[in-house]
Amino acid sequence: MSDSPILELKQLTKRFGGLTAVGEVSLKVREGGITGLIGPNGAGKTTIFNLITGVYKVSSGEILFQGKSITNGDSWQIAQAGVTRTFQNIRLFKNLSAFDNVLTACHGAARYGLAEALLRLPRFRREERALREKAIGLLDIMGLADRADVLANNLPYGLQRRLEITRALALDPKLILLDEPAAGMNPDETLHLMKLIGEIRDSFKLSVLVIEHHMDLIMGVCEHIHVLNFGCTLADGTADSVANDPRVVEAYLGAEEE
Amino acid sequence: MAQFLQQLVNGLSIGSIYALMAVGYSLVYSIMNFSNFAHGSVIMLGAYFGFFALTLLGLPFFLAFFLAACATALVAVLLERLAYKPLRDRRAPFLYFIITAMGASIFIDNSVIATIGPTPKTFPQDVLPAFLRSGAIRLGTIEVGRIDIAMFVITAICLVALILFIDFTKMGKAIQATAYNMKASALMGIDTNFVIILVFAIGGALAGVAGVLYGMKYQVYPQMSSITLKSFVAAVFGGLGSLPGALLGSVLLALIETFVSGYLSTQYRDLFAFIILIAMLVVRPAGIMGKNAEDKA
Amino acid sequence: MEYIQGIAILIGINLIAVLGLSILTGFTGLFSFGHGGFMAIGAYIAAVFTARLHLPFVLAIVAGGLSAGIASWLIGLITLKLKGDYFCIATMGFGEAVRIILNNIPYVGGARGWESLPKLTNAWWVIGLDIVFVVVTWNLINSRQGRNMVAVREEELAAQMAGVDVFRHKMAALVASAIMAGIAGALMANYMQFIRPTMFNMAKSTDLTIMVIFGGLGSISGSILGTILLVSLPELFRNFAQWRLVIYGLAVVVIMVGRPQGLVGGMELTPAGIRKAAAARRARQQFRDEAGQKT
Repeated sequence: MSDSPILELKQLTKRFGGLTAVGEVSLKVREGGITGLIGPNGAGKTTIFNLITGVYKVSSGEILFQGKSITNGDSWQIAQAGVTRTFQNIRLFKNLSAFDNVLTACHGAARYGLAEALLRLPRFRREERALREKAIGLLDIMGLADRADVLANNLPYGLQRRLEITRALALDPKLILLDEPAAGMNPDETLHLMKLIGEIRDSFKLSVLVIEHHMDLIMGVCEHIHVLNFGCTLADGTADSVANDPRVVEAYLGAEEE
Repeated sequence: MAQFLQQLVNGLSIGSIYALMAVGYSLVYSIMNFSNFAHGSVIMLGAYFGFFALTLLGLPFFLAFFLAACATALVAVLLERLAYKPLRDRRAPFLYFIITAMGASIFIDNSVIATIGPTPKTFPQDVLPAFLRSGAIRLGTIEVGRIDIAMFVITAICLVALILFIDFTKMGKAIQATAYNMKASALMGIDTNFVIILVFAIGGALAGVAGVLYGMKYQVYPQMSSITLKSFVAAVFGGLGSLPGALLGSVLLALIETFVSGYLSTQYRDLFAFIILIAMLVVRPAGIMGKNAEDKA
Repeated sequence: MEYIQGIAILIGINLIAVLGLSILTGFTGLFSFGHGGFMAIGAYIAAVFTARLHLPFVLAIVAGGLSAGIASWLIGLITLKLKGDYFCIATMGFGEAVRIILNNIPYVGGARGWESLPKLTNAWWVIGLDIVFVVVTWNLINSRQGRNMVAVREEELAAQMAGVDVFRHKMAALVASAIMAGIAGALMANYMQFIRPTMFNMAKSTDLTIMVIFGGLGSISGSILGTILLVSLPELFRNFAQWRLVIYGLAVVVIMVGRPQGLVGGMELTPAGIRKAAAARRARQQFRDEAGQKT
């Protein structure tokens, strides 16, 4: 784990009309680390994800990924640069099979152009095969290989979330943003997920920024936690320091029980 | 100068019809976030309902008018319940709604052609009350058709009634709240289901009035649904989802069209709706009075 | 026999436009009210090439397709970055605008139409181009570019997050569909030997869309079936001509509400396609069993 941050938010602010959803938030995600972003509902966490991934325009502030500014970039370019995400309300390609969901996302690993695809030239055949192998490989690692043909819509909830993570991994990201990956999961599934996140970080060598309400997940898996309240930073530090911070306890930890 | 004023009057009268159509469309759009492309067919049905109420049933004028508006309100609500609601419940993609609207529109338009026939019908003079019969009133050098005056007045009444309803009644406020955020409104205890029905009914009623007026000024024919392109353009021009915008856009569009056809050429009049649309989309897609909304993830 | 061949050629001509629209609507999820306008551009440009400039037919076809493509590219630049409603309204306006402009150009016949165009379209042209475009459409859909288009249809935001340049893919689908409509128009002009602006109005656009829908969105074999069905049916039921569209309209609503997969069920009528659909059904059944066992 190096010291240079893979993601840095500098005084990030987002205003919707009169409402300040995110107020001057500064945050660093260490390369190879797992950072948690917590806070009560409406604290601005998903908004920050939307700002990072280019869904919203920032009102002021900067977003640096690997030292380069991605502020107000095009979402798809940011994704190709190495930042992918999952969604709070799952946004899978519902009418496609699990395999097709992942295969589609693998597109960046191939370089063939439209002409080569239309004419079925050798380069197309070669790279398509590689894409399929990659997709199967990913499904295998994530334990979804036996569900490859099931329509995403028909998968059980927990596996849908896992599929979304698998799809996010298909782009070979360096930073993955997980938006409430444990939502709706029971303690058993949450434990599995915790292990999975750690394993993903280790085997894929990436950094993770995760939004969560499940305290056991956050405390169990995050090395570093950033706490938001009403769009502003409340606390920032290791799991222990945050857990014992009286301001955090008062604003959040004491009341919330998942 | 006299010609200018004359054109102005003509433009305003057409503008009032466009306004009724555009406001009805925009109202539904502001709540449902979806363009009811079958709106034109409802307008057309309004014209026919009015026509038959007057000629076949021999009803007195205002009753026939009122009945036509009620009938179109009913049609609009039926459309919503039978075609759109099932899609909404299944959270079907946006595409499905447009296709369904197209299908409904084709069904309605061609049902009329197959049953009543494609020949245009004109409102016979004797069923219209004296103040609406053709003929104009002279105001100085300008001639204002009696129909045109009636259209201003009726449109004004409808729009004022609409504003009063939306701004000052409890139901109206419920509509505003639902337009702003449907889920939150439901959580606050607003019966959003009823609001949707109400909005479609109002939109349908306005469409019916527009249809009858259009039929009186021009003719009644099944292909009327194509004029609604103008109302869509007017709504976009003024700002999709904004009711004052729909009004403003309609009046401006009608004025531009009238002046173009008056001073340049009538052939290209209808083309201007398209030109204005493209210009608007290039320069300011949100429309004159629209606001930019950002998608939530 | 001549009669059947005539219908077959009409099916073949329309199929090219329908395949294009299938790419745009069925696979990429964009709805156009104005593809009649693109067909019109193709038809009229081709007619100018063959009837006035006396150039070879192949050039006419290419010119027709390209002109339609360029027009679509301009429309796309303006509308594809905006919300879906704007694109629909713009295509509606575009179709009307093309019709009005053509009505007012005496050089191409104006509103009365243009007669005595050379008959250059024959079975070879139609069959040849049909094969080409079925293969092209198939190859497109089963490539990463095609899969990205489907992703745009399914979940545009998620597609962005998966690195798909949504605008570029929408544009590609639009231009492809316009070129194909233009080529169909060119073939039509030199087959019917007569063109008139009203032939390409919104009714034509919706006709093409209905062919895509009947077969099922997202299925090439469905689009082929839909075209065959909806071009031949009117010939079979001439007596009930006015009711045809009434039934179509109702059928569209019923399909979208009840069975959006259309006739073919959202799959392809090929060995691989059938296998895939069977596998999906098997997998879903297996799941139901597992879920049943847990409780």
